[in-house]
Amino acid sequence: MYKASSHIKVTQIFSESIDNLNLSKRRSILALLGIIVGSSSIIALLTIGGNAADEAVRIFKNMGTDILVVGFPYSHQNRQPLPSTLDSQALRKAVPGISQIAPITLHSAQLSHNGQNTDASLVGTTQGLADAIGLKFNAGRDLSRYDHRETFAVVGARVAKDLGSLGNPLRVGDLIRIDNYLFNVIGIAESLPATPLIPIVLDESILIPIEGMKRLRPAPEITGIIIKADEADLAALAEVLNSYLTQTFNGREVDVQIPQQLLDGLRHQASTFSYLLAALGGISLLVGGVGVMNVMLMSVAERKREIGIRMALGARQRDIRTLFLLEAVNLSIVGAIAGALLGVAIAFSFTHFSGWEFTLSIMALPLGVGCSLLTGIFFGLYPAISASKLQPAEALRAE
Amino acid sequence: MIISLDGITYSHRTGEQELCVLKDVTLDIMRGQSCAIVGSSGSGKSTLLNILGLLSRPDSGEFHFVGYDMCSASSDVLASIRNQEIGFVFQSFNLLSRLTALDNVALPLSYRGFSRNKARQHALDHLKQVGLEDRVTHLPSELSGGQCQRVAIARALVGNPSLILADEPTGNLDSQTATEILDILLALNREQSVTLIVVTHDIAMANHFDRKLEIRQGKMHEVAVARDDKHV
Repeated sequence: MYKASSHIKVTQIFSESIDNLNLSKRRSILALLGIIVGSSSIIALLTIGGNAADEAVRIFKNMGTDILVVGFPYSHQNRQPLPSTLDSQALRKAVPGISQIAPITLHSAQLSHNGQNTDASLVGTTQGLADAIGLKFNAGRDLSRYDHRETFAVVGARVAKDLGSLGNPLRVGDLIRIDNYLFNVIGIAESLPATPLIPIVLDESILIPIEGMKRLRPAPEITGIIIKADEADLAALAEVLNSYLTQTFNGREVDVQIPQQLLDGLRHQASTFSYLLAALGGISLLVGGVGVMNVMLMSVAERKREIGIRMALGARQRDIRTLFLLEAVNLSIVGAIAGALLGVAIAFSFTHFSGWEFTLSIMALPLGVGCSLLTGIFFGLYPAISASKLQPAEALRAE
Repeated sequence: MIISLDGITYSHRTGEQELCVLKDVTLDIMRGQSCAIVGSSGSGKSTLLNILGLLSRPDSGEFHFVGYDMCSASSDVLASIRNQEIGFVFQSFNLLSRLTALDNVALPLSYRGFSRNKARQHALDHLKQVGLEDRVTHLPSELSGGQCQRVAIARALVGNPSLILADEPTGNLDSQTATEILDILLALNREQSVTLIVVTHDIAMANHFDRKLEIRQGKMHEVAVARDDKHV
């Protein structure tokens, strides 16, 4: 067997491949553009999609992840009236793992104070609601368990603003008239964004002790219960709760919702959507890859004679293959990096102008850059192999 | 013996048609010999040179190069032998237009695993030997035909080959430059006992070689060299 000396090093082929690209700049730039567009759109779309999902979820974020919302859907089969309030002590005893219970009854009312009138939802509830939904107070305090006989009220942010006037804002201790009763303001709440998962819009509400609702409305029924759980397994708790409440309320249909589950669903949907966007980016990358292949095939056709010369001087098939493959890979490395920068810049300005918070999604960069590199290798492979398979004598004859 | 061909045939296929270019060529060439291959154009002399240079494989027959069987050798082995044992000189020079004279000469050494600097050092030595040390950084397009061919000769020599194959090396040159180039090649053969095989259609030139092989219709004939013409 003929003993060959050592062979060309890949690093040397690499530096040659860079020289070659430098020498055919315009064509290289065209191929680059395709890769840049593809990789930047993957990164930008993934990041924007991720940020959009975060934004959607953020609205629900501040209400905590340990909440259950009980509702009583109206049904024709069972028109059994609901009680006006709930025995929280009994529920606590029967269903372990509950940290806060807040039954609510919902009505609407016209309020007036100091000549200012406004409409608000009148919410009868107990202490515990504020803790369960994460309500904070600008002034005063929450309802307490000793307030159930009192005409006390906690006022939501928008209602407080409507009832106050310039220079004379609503204060704790002021009296608000609801129908024929005067209620004493004991607390003014901070603004709390509305979430579709909780049946009350706090900013538009006035909270009064649930027992006092009878003063204002005939035969009030509880519309829902908001429960804060102690334990992690919300689904199990929901089941126990459901069977207890069904029994307590004479077979009325009970619907226990776990906002966390809805939230998870929402998040899942959002991520599905952002992968859809990424797939769109992938298609543009595919087009970019075809561009790379096109440029490399042209390059091989144009440099046939060079390939023949290199072979005559001792280049092995694999040396030729490596040379052309590295040229394609170099293009995609540069394209991927430029695309990553461009993609992040696009995503950043998009989120900036949408007023969202910008977070770089963890998957976006490696996915975008990785896909671009794979595209380069995949679409560079065929031209490189076809170059290496040329017969030296034939290649040398080429013009 | 550096080359031993036995019953080599080669056909050129263009679509359906098969054109027989070489028929049963048998040839032995000893180390240090100089041979001219002559023949009319299309007779198959370039094809023979391509086979001798391991650039194409014969259809049948046996080919031994420095004792190794070339018909069964892998393409990697052929590449290594081209790199280490054979230097090519072409009619159209075949320099890489994007590389300087120095890098063109250094190219064969890079395929041998030399570092760029070491390869350039050797290349410079060989450019000096052909008298082009002041044209080192020039591109082929900035050199005359004769200078290009000298760069090509330097490139052929840089790997210390045992065989130089030249395909009409003076075909694109004026007669004075052609004589210079031929003198360089013959001097190499004489002084460094490099085996030299040159394809030419110039009968006068062929008389400067040890042996003259003529190809007619794909068959090879050994022809006597007109000795009295040999100069130097």
